Amino acid sequence: MTSREFDNILDECLERLLVKGETIEQCLQSYPEQASELEPLLRTALATGEAVDFQPRPEFRAKARYQFRSALREMEGGSRRSLSGWFPRWATSVAIVLVVLVAGSGTVAAASNSMPDSPLYSVKLATEQVRLVLTPSPLGKAEFCASLADRRVEEILYVAGKGNPRQVERVTRELDVCLTRLSSLTSSQGEKGGVMLAPTPAPAPAEVAPESADAGERTYSQENSRLKLKLALKHHAQSHPAALREKLKTVPPSTRAALLRAIAVSEDGYEKALKTLD
Amino acid sequence: MQNEESLVQRARQHDQEAFAQLYEEYFDKIYRYVALKIGDRTEAEDMTQQVFVKALRSISSFRWKGRPFSAWLFRIAHNLIVDYLRKRSRRATVPLAEPVPAGNEDPQQAAERRLDIDRLALATRQLTEAQREVISLRFAGELPIAQVARVMGKNEGAVKALQHSAIAALRRALRTQDNDE
Repeated sequence: MTSREFDNILDECLERLLVKGETIEQCLQSYPEQASELEPLLRTALATGEAVDFQPRPEFRAKARYQFRSALREMEGGSRRSLSGWFPRWATSVAIVLVVLVAGSGTVAAASNSMPDSPLYSVKLATEQVRLVLTPSPLGKAEFCASLADRRVEEILYVAGKGNPRQVERVTRELDVCLTRLSSLTSSQGEKGGVMLAPTPAPAPAEVAPESADAGERTYSQENSRLKLKLALKHHAQSHPAALREKLKTVPPSTRAALLRAIAVSEDGYEKALKTLD
Repeated sequence: MQNEESLVQRARQHDQEAFAQLYEEYFDKIYRYVALKIGDRTEAEDMTQQVFVKALRSISSFRWKGRPFSAWLFRIAHNLIVDYLRKRSRRATVPLAEPVPAGNEDPQQAAERRLDIDRLALATRQLTEAQREVISLRFAGELPIAQVARVMGKNEGAVKALQHSAIAALRRALRTQDNDE
């Protein structure tokens, strides 16, 4: 056998090992005569593949995505400024939002139910980001993040069922970003009166002014919403990992590792978020 | 992913969504490639962002002509890394280990994984520049051999031979580390 032929066999085995999820033994069975030379190389390659399988920090991923989207918008804005330079900036923004809402509503609507294997999936993610930005209060944003986490788990179950580990990993990263943001909203914003669940001390009856009645109702309504959020998160904290574990029983071996990571991310994410609400 | 060539075509015409899809597809791969080559978390994060901003600014100059988008994007990353390594000062680096563990990974597992990555980064320093490039593109960038060949400007046969010698050299370097410990 020439060295060129061996190089081809090694490359074929690497594809089978790293991309198709086959085992070293399966590759060696295909090439028994080269097994002794192939095996140590494949073991090193497999260890290398596992070692480099690291993820960017969720905070960095979220920040980078936001900055990239901003750069995209700036670039788009720059290319159109010559046409709209006379237009006040706020009016331009409103006009763009209206145009997107009207002209893009068909695509956006079609994307809303798309799954990760659909070309419209990134439209769905982008639309969610816009909705999140436009949601006014930290509590509202946290509620929206909770509903997004629910969607992500549904999507993980879907792509896991299709036996696609790469997409399971991709959506798991989205789930991680979502739950990290949820924790951040429920912790840091809580101190500013956003999502804090701790009861506020009730004023003495003599201190209650007539104009504070509305404020009192608003506070009650907010606390009610916070409690609902906490209950929803408690429910998700049990039902999501359970559904993912159930799926683990039926997925192909190549998808198990990715699904196990999704379970870990889900358990950890909800635990952190719930701690911030305690 | 939607046909990459049509996405790139749309991105060249300032279609934000098309570029956003390309970004999502390549973000992790570029980050891992950069991180493995420079071995510093903070710098790898900054540089990953630079790669995409640079790509965004110069996408209109990209011509398909048989060279895939991935080859063009990794070439941008490669050039930024070369510039960075040329200018790198002696300031302390932030190890790769910290961003690695996912979610609630067991501390013991995290420690073992950290060892793997640190050892790997150290071992790749024993490789030639070309061998290191093949390992980074193939394993961290997850590129198939044909695209590695495009990025490196070599033919596929030469890259396969380089891949073979790189893995063998990496194995030797890791064994030397084991013996030293």
